[in-house]
Amino acid sequence: MGILVQRYTYGSACELALCIATPIDPLALCSHNISPNTKALEIAKQVRGGAGRTTEVEKEWVEVGGLAHPLFSACCRSMFPMLTLLSMFYYICLRRRCRSGSRSEALGSRRAVELAQRASGPAGGGSVGGVSSGGELEQYAKEVVDFSSHYGSENSMSYTMWNLAGAPNVYPSSGDFTQTAVFRTYGRWWERCPSAGAPYRRTPRSFHSRDFLELAFEEPVYPTAVEVLETYHPGAVVQILACSLNPFSQNPPTDVRWEVLWSGEPSKALAPQSRQFSPSIRHLSFPTNLLRVEVNSSLLEYYTELDAVILRGVRERPMLALYKIPLIDMNDLSDGEDETAIGIGSQRHPQAGDGKYNNTGNGYFDKLPYELIQLIVSHLTVPDLCRLAQSCKLLQQHCCDPLQYLQLSLQPYWATLTDASLVHLQPRCVLLQRLNMSWTGNRGALTSNGFCSFLKACGQSLVSLELSCCHFLTEASLEVISQTCPGLQELNLASCDRLQPQAFSHVAKLNSLRRLVLYRTKIEQTALLSILTFCTELQHLNLGSCVRIQDYDVVASMLSVRCRRLRSLDLWRCGSLTERGLAELAAGCPLLEELDLGWCSTLQSSSGCFQRLARRLPRLRKLFLTANRTVCDADVEEMAACCPALHYVDILGTRMVSPASLRKLLQSCPNLKLVDVSFCSQIDTRAVQELSALFPNVAIKKSFTQ
Amino acid sequence: MLSVLSYGRIVARAVLGGLSQTDGRDYSLITASCGFGKDFRKGILKKGMCYGDDACFIARHKSVDVLGVADGVGGWRDYGVDPSQFSATLMRTCERLVKEGRFTPSNPVAILTSAYYELLQNKVPLLGSSTACIVVLDRRSHRLHTCNLGDSGFLVVRGGEVVHRSDEQQHYFNTPFQLSIAPPGAEGVVLSDSPDAADSSSFDVQLGDIILTATDGLFDNMPDYMILQELKKLKNTNYDSIQQTARSIAEQAHELAYDPNYMSPFAQFACDNGLNVRGGKPDDITVLLSIVAEYTD
Repeated sequence: MGILVQRYTYGSACELALCIATPIDPLALCSHNISPNTKALEIAKQVRGGAGRTTEVEKEWVEVGGLAHPLFSACCRSMFPMLTLLSMFYYICLRRRCRSGSRSEALGSRRAVELAQRASGPAGGGSVGGVSSGGELEQYAKEVVDFSSHYGSENSMSYTMWNLAGAPNVYPSSGDFTQTAVFRTYGRWWERCPSAGAPYRRTPRSFHSRDFLELAFEEPVYPTAVEVLETYHPGAVVQILACSLNPFSQNPPTDVRWEVLWSGEPSKALAPQSRQFSPSIRHLSFPTNLLRVEVNSSLLEYYTELDAVILRGVRERPMLALYKIPLIDMNDLSDGEDETAIGIGSQRHPQAGDGKYNNTGNGYFDKLPYELIQLIVSHLTVPDLCRLAQSCKLLQQHCCDPLQYLQLSLQPYWATLTDASLVHLQPRCVLLQRLNMSWTGNRGALTSNGFCSFLKACGQSLVSLELSCCHFLTEASLEVISQTCPGLQELNLASCDRLQPQAFSHVAKLNSLRRLVLYRTKIEQTALLSILTFCTELQHLNLGSCVRIQDYDVVASMLSVRCRRLRSLDLWRCGSLTERGLAELAAGCPLLEELDLGWCSTLQSSSGCFQRLARRLPRLRKLFLTANRTVCDADVEEMAACCPALHYVDILGTRMVSPASLRKLLQSCPNLKLVDVSFCSQIDTRAVQELSALFPNVAIKKSFTQ
Repeated sequence: MLSVLSYGRIVARAVLGGLSQTDGRDYSLITASCGFGKDFRKGILKKGMCYGDDACFIARHKSVDVLGVADGVGGWRDYGVDPSQFSATLMRTCERLVKEGRFTPSNPVAILTSAYYELLQNKVPLLGSSTACIVVLDRRSHRLHTCNLGDSGFLVVRGGEVVHRSDEQQHYFNTPFQLSIAPPGAEGVVLSDSPDAADSSSFDVQLGDIILTATDGLFDNMPDYMILQELKKLKNTNYDSIQQTARSIAEQAHELAYDPNYMSPFAQFACDNGLNVRGGKPDDITVLLSIVAEYTD
């Protein structure tokens, strides 16, 4: 009996009961020199055949036992029903205990614990969900702590990142709703414009992120699952990270670690319908209530929209059995090293402590020209470069050669970059021309002083500086930038919304500026006007969502006077621009190729401003008039007649443009690549389909809400 | 089997409850809604809280209860615009603002202003106009903050008498103050009042006060004494009896609206202005009936 019991799992208590009902005498088995296991197997097969065959089993037993004693067999025949009854009682008790869960927990059965977890559904409302018997907590985000961009206005709740907090508003419906979180850009359209910065070499292939958002939850847990509710054009999530810091705790951050829970490639779901994205995440060794989601929507047809993020986890450190044992992947190992590489490199000194070394030469390396080794090494990513520098003297010389560090992108390593890393990189970066430190240094990892000393040492030749979402910047940092980098041509301060307005006055000292991005900053009018007065070489200017500027007409007229080489201008959500300012701009900046006037509600087409604009700017390649409800047929026809170079057009949300004028535009502008006619009431999906068929090279976008 | 400790706890609670003043307790609004659209033949199935071109909402956030009604101006139908879209979206947006806590209880005009701003942030090109009336109860301070733009409004009834009421705001006869989004080019022609033009008031309420928030479909068809008569029948403070009373008020107003011989307040006002009319005023009717009661979980 003991043998048979072991063969059956608890999942089939019925079989267990039947086994108990058919005892096997081990002595009897042994006396016939039959291996107990094989005999047990045979009898087990017959037992599984069903209760109706118990008499056969009984006979079998008697034969096996070799004891054909009548009394004994009679005894068996009477005992057998009793045993059956006893086993039925035992079976019923066993199932009852299984259901209550205490026995399953005691047994530590993985399946039982999972069942208990599945039984607890998500509790509605509030930021903290229900707790199941297994101790699993389900939480919605409590607060959106940081993000790189969003579509909506700063004080609004339409299409802004703050919609990610709390329970979902829209899911499972799909569509373009105001109650979701939307990023500023999608696809590749913005990368292809000349106003985009040039890409950096040495970007690791695993780094795909273009935008990010950080969410704080109520209670720190060991995560078991993270679910992202995407309600429109899903597929953009590329990385999910967790932080060891509790953003609500009053204690200062001691050791801030970011662990990657999941990372993947940007993808595109088959249909733009909503979906719950729940990738399998890694096991975390610390509890977390701060998550970061990084997205890349370059494969998507339209804006991706997120509704909520759910964090599932347990309060106590879970047993490993709850997680799938991760396959040890070589890429995973190298990623783990990636994160600590710069940290490692900064601690260990590359120079060997002992003075003596064997000068045996470097073998074939000595035969290669210096430049060739430089070329080979130039393909390595920065962490690999740091690692290679520790291998031998020759390679250390190559890897620390400042010529390798003409371009340096530290954005992929934002999680591990510290002041010490900058100190370590300092001696190599003296010839630095292009530096990308976007997203770095938050939560105390970098200080303004560390950054300033790095810049003072390395920034003399800087031409391009990307500092998007760098919250460690202060007025002092900008002052140092303006003093140390007089030849700076590109400066990106997008989403540096903690930078005080007076800091921007230092930007005016950078007289060679060609590209300036001030998206979502707090710059004020006087500082901006002084920048425009002195930076006359400006070609690309981004003033999107700069809400502190009161009068954009003055800004436009200053641009028309001082910045005549302007090629692209982004005035997204600039609320006070009128036709006067637009006319001056068109007159003063004839080289304008890109103009984004989205959500500028003060521009009225009835004043003829758009038609004049089209006539004055024949070189226009990009014209966005998003949500300007006054755009009409006459404007579109004028654009068709005067701007043959148009590539990207957006006339979302107007009721006054008909399919006929859209057709004229498509016919007259052979270079058109993107036309967004979402929510244009006269242009329905059928018209869009017809025009798409006629003009297959043009992506005609028509969003929907239901 | 109650232990000594739990007995002691109950006794202590009773004693303390009796000794403490009633001001310490939170109030809350128990609200029921009812209404009828003007045109049954439309047959458009709307989501709850929309009656014809009217819309309303009931929401709460932490220790604040908020109600609102909006009456969509029907004249837009002649220009091909659905008047119910504006009022429904306005009320949905107010509800969302309240639920997310983006408001101050003592400033209901700010709720209207923010909601109107949010309507302009919608990608969908909304058109239309509506009146609006918002009532906010702060549970701790027992104060009712209200604001009203247009000819919807509210009554506060205490002890069978009206102690507070809102004033109608009208430009001309049958042309109330209204929030509107006009088609481009028609801004000069279409009436568009700013949310700042709303009347606001704040006052204390007591337990047992009845607050009736409704659109002009009710007030134009039922004079005060009839409304008070119906409210006298309200005995309990539970939801079902409030719902029943709201329904009876709305039904009675609906009947009177289609009575050609009845001298409704609307007809009275018209006569006073020189128009010789009689009978009720067929209109969308929305009634939100609330009672101030103690807050229980």
